[in-house]
Amino acid sequence: MSASTQPFRRGDGGLIDRSRPLSFRFDGQGYQGFEGDTLASALLANGVRLVGRSFKYHRPRGILSAGPEEPNALVELRAGARREPNTRATVVELFHGLEARSQNRWPSLAFDLLSVNSLLGPALQAGFYYKTFMWPASFWERLYEPLIRRAAGLGRAAGLEDPDHYEKAFAFCDVLIIGGGPAGIAAALVAGRSGARVILCDEDSRLGGRLLAERREIDGQPAADWLKEALAELASLPDVTIMPRSTVFGVYDHGVYGVVERVTDHLAVPPPHQARQRSWRITARRAVLAAGAIERPIVFSGNDTPGVMLAGAVRTYLNRYGVLPGREAVVFTTGDEGWTTARDLFTAGGRVAAIVDPRTALDPELTALAARIGARVFAGSVVCRASGSRALTAVDIRDASGREQTIACDLLAVSNGWNPTLHLTSHQNTRPVWDEAIQAFVPGTMPVGLSVAGSAAGRFSLAEALADGARLGREAAADSGFDSAAEPATPITDPEGVALSPVWRVKGGKGKAFVDFQNDVTDADIELAAREGFRPVEHLKRFTTLGMATDQGKTSNIAGLAIMAEQTGKTIPQTGTTIFRPPYTPVAIGALAGHHRGRDFRPTRLSPTHSWSQNQGAVFIEAGAWMRAQYYPRPGETDWLTSVNREVLAVRNEVGICDVSTLGKIDIQGADAVDFLERVYCNGFRALPVGKARYGLMLREDGFVMDDGTTSRLAQTHFLMTTTTANAGKVMQHLEFCHQVLWPELNVRLVSVSEQWAQAAIAGPKARAVLQGVVDAEHDICNKAFPYLAARAVTVGGGIPARLFRISFSGELAYELAVPAGYGVAMMEALMAAGAAHGITPYGTEALGVMRIEKGHVAGNELSGQTTARDLGLGKMMSSKKDYLGRLMAQRPALVEADRPRLVGFKPVDPTQRLRAGAHFIGIGKAATMHHDEGYMTSVAYSPVLGHWIGLGLLRNGRERLGERVRAVDPVRNGDVEIEICSPVFVDPEGTRLHG
Amino acid sequence: MAEIGMAWTARGAWTGIAAAGAFGTPHDGVRVQLREGLGIASLIAGQEQEPALERALDSRYGLSLPRGPSAVSSASHTLLWSGPGQWLLLAASSAGFAEDCAGLAGLAAVAEQSDGRAVLSLSGAMVRQTLAKGCMVDLHPRAFPVGTTALTSIAYVNIQLWRAEDGPEGAVYEIMVPRSMAGSFWSWFSASAAEFGCAITVSRD
Repeated sequence: MSASTQPFRRGDGGLIDRSRPLSFRFDGQGYQGFEGDTLASALLANGVRLVGRSFKYHRPRGILSAGPEEPNALVELRAGARREPNTRATVVELFHGLEARSQNRWPSLAFDLLSVNSLLGPALQAGFYYKTFMWPASFWERLYEPLIRRAAGLGRAAGLEDPDHYEKAFAFCDVLIIGGGPAGIAAALVAGRSGARVILCDEDSRLGGRLLAERREIDGQPAADWLKEALAELASLPDVTIMPRSTVFGVYDHGVYGVVERVTDHLAVPPPHQARQRSWRITARRAVLAAGAIERPIVFSGNDTPGVMLAGAVRTYLNRYGVLPGREAVVFTTGDEGWTTARDLFTAGGRVAAIVDPRTALDPELTALAARIGARVFAGSVVCRASGSRALTAVDIRDASGREQTIACDLLAVSNGWNPTLHLTSHQNTRPVWDEAIQAFVPGTMPVGLSVAGSAAGRFSLAEALADGARLGREAAADSGFDSAAEPATPITDPEGVALSPVWRVKGGKGKAFVDFQNDVTDADIELAAREGFRPVEHLKRFTTLGMATDQGKTSNIAGLAIMAEQTGKTIPQTGTTIFRPPYTPVAIGALAGHHRGRDFRPTRLSPTHSWSQNQGAVFIEAGAWMRAQYYPRPGETDWLTSVNREVLAVRNEVGICDVSTLGKIDIQGADAVDFLERVYCNGFRALPVGKARYGLMLREDGFVMDDGTTSRLAQTHFLMTTTTANAGKVMQHLEFCHQVLWPELNVRLVSVSEQWAQAAIAGPKARAVLQGVVDAEHDICNKAFPYLAARAVTVGGGIPARLFRISFSGELAYELAVPAGYGVAMMEALMAAGAAHGITPYGTEALGVMRIEKGHVAGNELSGQTTARDLGLGKMMSSKKDYLGRLMAQRPALVEADRPRLVGFKPVDPTQRLRAGAHFIGIGKAATMHHDEGYMTSVAYSPVLGHWIGLGLLRNGRERLGERVRAVDPVRNGDVEIEICSPVFVDPEGTRLHG
Repeated sequence: MAEIGMAWTARGAWTGIAAAGAFGTPHDGVRVQLREGLGIASLIAGQEQEPALERALDSRYGLSLPRGPSAVSSASHTLLWSGPGQWLLLAASSAGFAEDCAGLAGLAAVAEQSDGRAVLSLSGAMVRQTLAKGCMVDLHPRAFPVGTTALTSIAYVNIQLWRAEDGPEGAVYEIMVPRSMAGSFWSWFSASAAEFGCAITVSRD
């Protein structure tokens, strides 16, 4: 494949594979690049300069950088459900069939109607949102916000479910190395050789950092050779893990680092079973930050014109990608390094028209270089303006005397020194400090366990990077207990010029000069902020939006601070800097969620009888983490109420079975077990005989009700407690706390057996008859031998251990049968078979709820944490003969006030009216206001036995008001129903059915 | 009258969730054995009972009571530390396990948990890479040698993890999850192991 379709591709050189051409589309137009390209390098190879429109003014924008700091070249990548906005073309690896679109343009990139905003500049200056759209407030949601969003949107989300899979992962190491440039590799080599466990992360697909972009020598050989050997050695070390395409985005407490690995982002579609991205939590004893540095632009008029590029990026495109970013270049440099760019441009076949350097005394070696490559030298001069509408055509150069001349060019390489990539060092809330010598912020107080090497520490030369890396890698390994034999010799590098006199802005050009490209913040906006008093950096940031959005000011912050410092007569360090927070670069929410989305958001718990309920056609409902059978519709039943009424009537008239395996079950053993129960329950358990169950009520220490359930005495020192499904975990924790902290002297042992047992309620007049067909014949369960509240071990199915409890939530003759969970389905099938002749009917939580409301039994709605035993009509359970948790606090005046809301029943005066839970009680004829609020309806149900709706609720002084009428007012659903206050026990108040 | 009922068949904790076979890429990077039919019981000893419990376990199974997070095994039984003063006794077969439990009843609070847990055994070249996608414990051999156990969570499911004796493909990790959450655990596991390929076998008793 010839490069002829790529007019700006060099004939040779670079780390791209010319034998592997890749087709891609940008804004619908087809292009070709090579394997190893980024989208940005491939676009440049094809001569595409204009790649987007700016955020506010819709100005044409090109490619500024070659890395993650890119503020301009943001594109929508891929199409359909995989469409992703705001991807940086400079880090998007090219793949075959890649599809990308420019953002922020309408109707097209070349002709953008909204670029008229540029002409409205004064109206859109900093703070304009706050000022222009201040009033009236009601216009915000309807008018201003949609308008601004349409005009200023940064790309569009896919709006469809993400088809890809994401993962979370955890790793551990002795030494984490952040950055795989020369410093990071030197650190990894030394630490890895010591035997320490090393993880080396680099955001790039290829390790080497700046070595990939520069023509350098190490130990007299090309840097590429050194790199190849180093990487081969690292690969040979068993405890060294190399993680390319992995960005360390955050530093957290105790040596924890957040990393996002782009596993298959470089492919069109992830291969089967491969994650798209993976977020790692890496725990490291020590870490070395070798993240390098980010080059700084200069603020001058037209500095955002496509074709104005950072000089280091120019070298990256030339040397790594074999691309000429322009044919006719001008280099604007404030230090020696920019001159290297001129050399590399020339070597690659480009023409360097001029080198502009504000310094007057130039090293003769530099001027000799310029002469050799035929570049005019403008010493003591600056570029004061870049011009060209959709691409750069010329720059204006101004010398010290103010004389200007225009030079035609299609590329301006800007070199103004580098800022250490120190973001991670301030994630623990420490600020960087100013280093006057290099005119840059460097790391201040470091997070524990982290050290900084090379450019990230402001030590920019290759020699320093290699030396720092080796030294800090050795130290980090030694701190983790792995000593190296000897200090390694530092490699020798070719000489490099590091002299620098940075220029922050060039005044006096005509037109806008940008500080923050991504947010369209100009030097004039900073001046305005200063004039209007938004001078502290945090105010400056919020007033101008400087440093916000996806790039977080990676290329803009320093210039902004420098201009503010100039305006306020301060220095940059006096002006200060905002602090960096995670993430270093954007991280997709999907990567952070990993596997846990949709059904996998959290674990689902399934009862041991779940598959049986499924086979019975159950409709399930989430109850906490559990899936419980809500009701079992039969063919022809079209609404839930019909099914539930049928289930209730079946239990009341015949017999039904319901899964209750989800109840918490706690095994309590020990010589002091009964004393323990006496203290945690408000009612007495000492007299409970072996083989019997008792309802127990548990208070919190503050006197309110915590939970209820039955506890059975299986043996003299062996009890089985049940809890509500919702509070199973909480009660277990509470009991452990009581045992471990309050009464460690008690000889009692607790263990949850909730998972071990499948349990079913068998309720209805024919319950015993059904059970007699299931329980092994040697166990007599007649009414006399197995009376109400009996609780004993039995066997089923010819010797399978089981437990039978004669307890009732429905008010009917009822039992609960428990078998080992593996027999759960067999138990339900056996009960169904034995009950077939008796009309047995499975019932779900809905019918369970109806029947407990008919009986006035409290459940989660009433055990709300705000109710006392007395409120619930259970005051008599509070023993006066013993001490127990919550006893004293339950006597507080507010908890025993006469007119506290107390549990009563309600029925509609007009029996056709429906009741709603949550309705508030208001006196008849009174306004529905908070002032007249007398309580609320906690639970409602349609009672098929009574033929009308019934409710339970907490009504002020309710027990004394039976027969009175109030209203149930439900403003949310426009309900206002007159109701009669009644006993909460609607069905069989004498309890004769229980004992049947 | 019990003969009215049909045959009572026990259902394994993994039934309906996983079965013998393979999934994912065709590499068998991970091997999983679904361990059905184990006997499991929690043992909680009072301070004064520990010496007697220790003697009994030693004489019956040749197992010494671990005092920290470790697991000890004989040919037929494993003893897992599961908290201060608490252990889990595992028997390779649930047959006769009721007698195991009865024999220890006076020496500790014994509660059978055989049906309440789902256990699987993981091995294979990529087993650590798979577990790294959910396990927050360092499993490097220096940090987690044979006989180590941890009570931790994977995919928000509370688990107990221990490292058994190495098998033919190196490290073997055993994981025990609550029965009710075995399905959610498997959803995580199958998604995590698929890229490496996984072969499933079932051991019963």
